[in-house]
Amino acid sequence: MNHARNNFPTLMNRVVLYLDNALSSQEERELLLEIQSNPQLKAFFQQEKSFREFLRNKVNRKSVSPALVQNIKDKIRIHTNS
Amino acid sequence: MKEQNNIQDINQEELTPQELQALREEQAAKERKFEKELLPLIDALYNFAYHLTYDHENSNDLVQETYLKAFRFIDKYEAGTNAKAWLFRILKNEFINQYRKKSKRPTQVDFEDIVSYHDQDDNIPQSYVDLRQEIFQGMMGDEVTIAINSLPVDFRTVILLCDIEDFTYEEISKIVDIPIGTVRSRLHRARNLLKEQLKKYAVSLGYKDMRSKK
Repeated sequence: MNHARNNFPTLMNRVVLYLDNALSSQEERELLLEIQSNPQLKAFFQQEKSFREFLRNKVNRKSVSPALVQNIKDKIRIHTNS
Repeated sequence: MKEQNNIQDINQEELTPQELQALREEQAAKERKFEKELLPLIDALYNFAYHLTYDHENSNDLVQETYLKAFRFIDKYEAGTNAKAWLFRILKNEFINQYRKKSKRPTQVDFEDIVSYHDQDDNIPQSYVDLRQEIFQGMMGDEVTIAINSLPVDFRTVILLCDIEDFTYEEISKIVDIPIGTVRSRLHRARNLLKEQLKKYAVSLGYKDMRSKK
C-alpha cells in the first residue's frame, strides 16, 4: 500500500471500511501493516474504533413487553384458526 | 409481493377433510418457523422502530404490523437465511407507508420529511470530524440516544443499521433501497453529524478541547 502512503484521506477511508467489515482479507492485512507503521493512522484507527464501541455500548436498548409478543402470537393464531 | 395461500384466504368448505388437515399442518409449520426464526428478533426490531418514531405506542404498532406482514408472506422467507435483514426491510417499508398515510393528515404528524435525502453524490467526502475519546467517554446512554435521534431520519437509519445492528453495506443497501455507494457516503455524513452533535453536547457541559492551546 505504499502508493497510498502519501494519501492520508484514502487510508482513513480504508480504516472505516475495515471497521465496517468491508475489506477483503488481503486488504485487511495490508491496512493493519500500514497502521502499525504509521502513528497518525494508528491514532485515527483507535479513535474510530473507540467511537464505534462507544455507540454500540451506550445506545439505549429496550426490550419489548411480553404483552406485545403475546398479542402478535394471538393475532396470528386468529388468522390461522379463522 | 404476491401473497401465498394462507388458511384464512381459502374457503375451507370447498376442501376435503384430508386437504383441510394438510392445510392446518402447513399453517402450524408456518407458526413454528415464525416463532423460532422471526420472533426472537423482536427486540432489535423494536429498537429500530423506536429510533424511527421516538414513540413507544407507534413503535409497538410498527413492530406488530411488521410481524403480521412477515407472517402473511412467510412462504417468501427461506429458513436459515437472513431473517433480520428481511424483517428490517419490511419494517422500514411499513414505516414509510405509515408516514405517507399520516402525511395526508398533516395535523397529526410532525415527522420530518423522510424522503428528503441528503446525498448529493456517492463520493465519500475526505473529511472526518475529530471526536476525541475523552469527549465521549463520560457520556451516558441517554445523551447518545438523543444525539442519534436528532439526526435526519435517513442518516439515523444507516447509523442504526451499521453501527448498532451490524448489517453489512450490501444488507443496508437492500433494506433502505439505495446503492452501496450511497450507503457509504450517507454513513460518512451521518457519523460526522453525530460526532458534531456529541461535541456540542460535551462543550455545553464545559468540555474544552485544549489541543489548540498546546
